[in-house]
Amino acid sequence: MAVDLFNPTPEHAQLREMVRRFAETEVEPQALEHDRSETFNLPLFRKLGELGVLGVTCGEEYGGAGLDAVAACIVHEELSAVDPGFTLAYLAHSMLFVNNVYQNANDEQRRRFLPGACEGTKVCGMCMSEPDAGTDVLGLRTTARRDGDFYVLDGAKMWITNGAISKDELGDAFLVYARMEGAPRSELTSFLVEKGTPGFSLGQKIEDKLGMRASPTAELVFEGCRVPVANRIGEEGTAMLHMMRNLEIERVTLAAMSLGIARRSVEVMNDYARERKSFGEPLNRFGQIQRHIAESYAEYMAGRAYTYQVAGQMDLAKPGQRLDTDGVKLFCATMGKNVADRAIQVLGGYGYTGEYRVERLWRDAKLLEIGGGTVEAHQKNMTRDLARLTKLR
Amino acid sequence: MKVLVPIKRVADPANANKVKVAGSEVSHDGLEWVMNPFDEWSLEAALRLTEDASAKTRTGEIVVVSIGPKAAVDTLREAMGKGAERGVLVDGEDTALDSNVVAQILAKVVEKEQPDLVLMGKQSADGDSNIAGTKLAELLGWPVINYASHIETSDDGKTLTIKRELDVGVQTLKVQGPAVITCSDRILKPGTIKNGVTPADFEYPDLGDLNSRLSNLKNIMAARKKPLDELGLGDLGVEPVRVDEYVGFELPAGRSGQAQFLESVDELVQKLQSEAKVL
Repeated sequence: MAVDLFNPTPEHAQLREMVRRFAETEVEPQALEHDRSETFNLPLFRKLGELGVLGVTCGEEYGGAGLDAVAACIVHEELSAVDPGFTLAYLAHSMLFVNNVYQNANDEQRRRFLPGACEGTKVCGMCMSEPDAGTDVLGLRTTARRDGDFYVLDGAKMWITNGAISKDELGDAFLVYARMEGAPRSELTSFLVEKGTPGFSLGQKIEDKLGMRASPTAELVFEGCRVPVANRIGEEGTAMLHMMRNLEIERVTLAAMSLGIARRSVEVMNDYARERKSFGEPLNRFGQIQRHIAESYAEYMAGRAYTYQVAGQMDLAKPGQRLDTDGVKLFCATMGKNVADRAIQVLGGYGYTGEYRVERLWRDAKLLEIGGGTVEAHQKNMTRDLARLTKLR
Repeated sequence: MKVLVPIKRVADPANANKVKVAGSEVSHDGLEWVMNPFDEWSLEAALRLTEDASAKTRTGEIVVVSIGPKAAVDTLREAMGKGAERGVLVDGEDTALDSNVVAQILAKVVEKEQPDLVLMGKQSADGDSNIAGTKLAELLGWPVINYASHIETSDDGKTLTIKRELDVGVQTLKVQGPAVITCSDRILKPGTIKNGVTPADFEYPDLGDLNSRLSNLKNIMAARKKPLDELGLGDLGVEPVRVDEYVGFELPAGRSGQAQFLESVDELVQKLQSEAKVL
């Protein structure tokens, strides 16, 4: 029997079915409200723990499911088809924190941090970007210095998803990238920092975002923040490898989020164009509308095939797929935005209002051209990798 | 308590427009398969009968059985992911089955498994025959209760008190097992199942639009390792006899899709009188 790229095993198919049903019955009804109020739905997030998907790629011994990158894509695609904002909070927790800690931390740290994160009793994230360093990640200026059994962290982190779970409450635990004082530019060190650590505080919950409003975003401040030595991940100066390992799954799952947006947008415009009549004919009899629908579907399926093909090849323990993990996000982010845009166009005035969902998907889609690597960063990385090749296989 | 739950895979009703018919056969090409929703109701009822929902532990055994091609294993695994302990797949081609054949095969499976109860869908979402449960009970010489809305067990699962919601009211029956029961969708409401183990004040969540509980990822993975027997008709010692002959299928006529939106109830009444002439 032919291999199903999107559901390579029956378990993948069941996972997709399970998440889709959960998304339709529990996530969909709350999506518009949390977009409007710009709030994070914590009880719903905890239900993801009951479903067992918060630790989708984390080993079973720490409370995870021990599955692969394809499974991670399935969860992101299905959740994002109804609520990309909520899905982004899931991604920050499950990919940027849980997967990162599972791949890079030692056994004692995993035992301390992962079971709670997999259950959903903790809401976690990762801190890389800073107010003055985004794409130029090595320009980060948060410093660490050793002081006895502690490290002292100073600096600020920006655009941290799950940084706050409400206007004034921090998330529970974060993986924080910093540089040892005096260390060279390329040597980073990562730390596990928990809420309640002296010197760690919420700078501000960032309000008034265009989209992804159901995921909380914050600026976090480290002022003489004292982190126990036991919370350092790996050795000093080795965090570049951790970062590279995790950026790849981050990009592939962000691409999967764009796929969810595109799929839903195609469904919405397809349904509408079949039912709505203009000049006595259903909209889908008109060539201009046919172009929107057919091109959107083909682009969605192209992105989907590329993403799942790359995910199927990934080894989560090893970096080495940068060209294509950047590639899927470069293609899918803009594709998702364009498809949502066409859905609004097909629906006309209705598409421009919240009830038909595509205006929200369109706003959410834009973030995926920026977060987790701007399209310009992907273009830079990919061109650099391609310059080393003469033949493509 | 041991419950046998027969499960059929059916073409996804959400994509019914993919179904193609040719003379006396329905083509299965390109169809997406899902668990028969009516069977899902019975699976959910069986799960509630055989667990301590408060302690989240299983207290009985569910065997799910399907008759179909190899690919129907996926549907059985899905049921095991929701909590069933074992699966039995009886090899059979959908085109060779009718309700009588199904009942004859299931009777042999029941003989082999000796369950305390068979809980099954009142019908399948594709054939809508509504025969197999009653026919199975007849072959077994067991009592049959169709469209159960409440099930209460006592006497270690041997005695069943069952309610059925009828147009004229609610009927309550008491039977000694083993028995065959089919369920109505009311069975999915909180408080409809009492097994003497789950505390009486435990409240099941409202399933909303779902036909049975969602699984979780751990159970989906664990279901891969649960025992699943694959049997041929020879293994069961049965040569089922078909009594129905499919003569022809045709697709329903397309709907016109004409709808009018009116401003008021008065206008509706007036149109029902003057245009539709139904008042």
